[in-house]
Amino acid sequence: MQLELLFEAFGKVMFDPINFLFVFIGVTSGIIVGALPGLTATMGVALLIPFTFGLDPVKGLLMLLGLFSGGIYGGSISAILIGIPGTPSAAATVLDGHPLCKKGLAGKAIGMATIASFFGGTVGALIMSFLSPQIAKIALKFGPPEFFALAFFGLGIIITVSGKSILKGLISGVFGLMITTIGFDPLSGCPRLTFNSTELLGGVTFIPALIGLFGYSQVFQGIEKILILPPVKSELKNIIPKFKEIGSVFKTMVKSALMGTFIGAVPGTGCDIAAFVSYGEARRSSKNPEKFGTGILEGVAAPESGNNGATGGAMIPMLTLGVPGDAVTAVLMGALTIHNFQPGPLLFRDHPEVVYPIFAGMILAQFVMLGVGLGGARFFASLINIDRRVMTPIIFLLCVVGSYAMRFSFFDVGVSLIIGIIAYFMNYYGFPGSPILLALILGPMVEQNLRRSLIISHGDPLIFITRPISAAFIFIGIFIIITSYYRIKRAMEKEEKMASVAEKERID
Amino acid sequence: MKREDIGIGVGLLILSTWLFWYVGRYRVKEIYGYGPDFFPRVLAVMMAILGLSLIVNALLGNSLKMGDRIDPKGFVRMLISIAICIGYLILTNILGFATATFLFLFGLMTFLRQKGILVRLFSSVATAILVWSIFRYFLVIPLPEGLLF
Repeated sequence: MQLELLFEAFGKVMFDPINFLFVFIGVTSGIIVGALPGLTATMGVALLIPFTFGLDPVKGLLMLLGLFSGGIYGGSISAILIGIPGTPSAAATVLDGHPLCKKGLAGKAIGMATIASFFGGTVGALIMSFLSPQIAKIALKFGPPEFFALAFFGLGIIITVSGKSILKGLISGVFGLMITTIGFDPLSGCPRLTFNSTELLGGVTFIPALIGLFGYSQVFQGIEKILILPPVKSELKNIIPKFKEIGSVFKTMVKSALMGTFIGAVPGTGCDIAAFVSYGEARRSSKNPEKFGTGILEGVAAPESGNNGATGGAMIPMLTLGVPGDAVTAVLMGALTIHNFQPGPLLFRDHPEVVYPIFAGMILAQFVMLGVGLGGARFFASLINIDRRVMTPIIFLLCVVGSYAMRFSFFDVGVSLIIGIIAYFMNYYGFPGSPILLALILGPMVEQNLRRSLIISHGDPLIFITRPISAAFIFIGIFIIITSYYRIKRAMEKEEKMASVAEKERID
Repeated sequence: MKREDIGIGVGLLILSTWLFWYVGRYRVKEIYGYGPDFFPRVLAVMMAILGLSLIVNALLGNSLKMGDRIDPKGFVRMLISIAICIGYLILTNILGFATATFLFLFGLMTFLRQKGILVRLFSSVATAILVWSIFRYFLVIPLPEGLLF
């Protein structure tokens, strides 16, 4: 590993006040976005990308990484204070965080969430920094069949982000792949499905599509329900936990951080699964499992250390293989592409000036998050109280500006609005948006490498299973798809059973 | 969601049939038949199978229960907000970005029944100036300019 490059990047990033400022802006925005229920880290990163267009790529990426880390942590603030997770990854934090708040220990719970997030995030970022270059070296040996197999493996994630219906998730995924076929054909240059529109020759631009999927759709739902949803209120006192309290949960934090990082590194898992698995493990191995759920600090430390550990983990497959670990890293991958850096093994060889500052920036973001989190907890808590009737129009504006800024094009704003309306209806009819995002990212990679491989093999599809790395990805992909299918099916059956029991009790 | 699923399934079948037929015009024989039409056709076949599965699934009674339903009044509110947004986009070229943005925010907040006029005024002026300044001076990205600014 090129340690000197890593240390040089650390020096540049850590001691440059401008870089520090961008990480600070990113982390602070992330905490705010994460703390506001309904706004996810994915949406935050998507909305911030247009603000990075005019910046030096490294500075822009540092800001986005700060937002990613801050966003995952920020979700815990509303989870603790109002019992609503700001982001899906903070869902497990509600279990003990909110009961602590009810006991009058909200400040302590937020303090513990901040320290555990810092710890988990730092462990994840360190593992990412040292493991990624090794994986990238192996990935440099890939040809078209391997890349197709890798993209197939990545598309397997669709199953895990499909929500309640795998069939509808697959439909969303194929719909997303169809969108990627609009514009110039990547191999022959023939314009496809453009209907004589010059604006469509380059295809549907990624950022407007992203803002439509995750920005407009949420804004439209917010406007629809704005007069029905009750207002939220939060209060906060005493924030920093005692050393003894931190010491008592240290073992849990270490275990959760390591588990979170490795779970995050498996494409298709993400921060929310890492948080629940960490919480479950902490409870399983605890001497007092019955206390979990009643409001204990260990129940906050475990999911927060786990979900922030997963942030570093999720970056590993995105940077080294060009396959995003989850929805947020898929958006980050789009940001790298927009700045003309194609994530994957070649990024390590051709652009070390970008890769190593990413590692350093991720670690710096954890320290900034610790300072901003502890120092600004009261302020962030007060933001939750902002009236939705003020916040929703502002987010609407950011969506419009964000979709315009990529190419200074009102056509893109229109495309974004249309995708937003489609996504709004999709939400109601049970079609998830994340598979479309994955398809938009991986679609061009699938098509190009599938056709190239078949041309190389003179049309023989066995090329994908006769090459060892390609075969391994295909089989692991199939294995993940099958196991995920049964896991989701079991979870759905359990949920249905619980719902029918609750319905029966209600009737009785 | 049985009826909805059947309707969507039929829509997907129509979409995939049309796509399969339409991309036929891009067919080339030189590269073993893997021309520009190859991938869209594969996707069209996949979508047809998935659409058919959705219909069969619904007919077998395996559709998910409809969760949250669209609130009709809220839906109209959403459509009006889109119309306000379109008006805003037209106004940006006439009045300029900052002025139109202020009017958009103030108008939308009023439409969403935000009662405090001072809150509406302050938040729309502050946001419009902040976003305009970031794009103009910090990111140096051109924004539409009209009669005002």
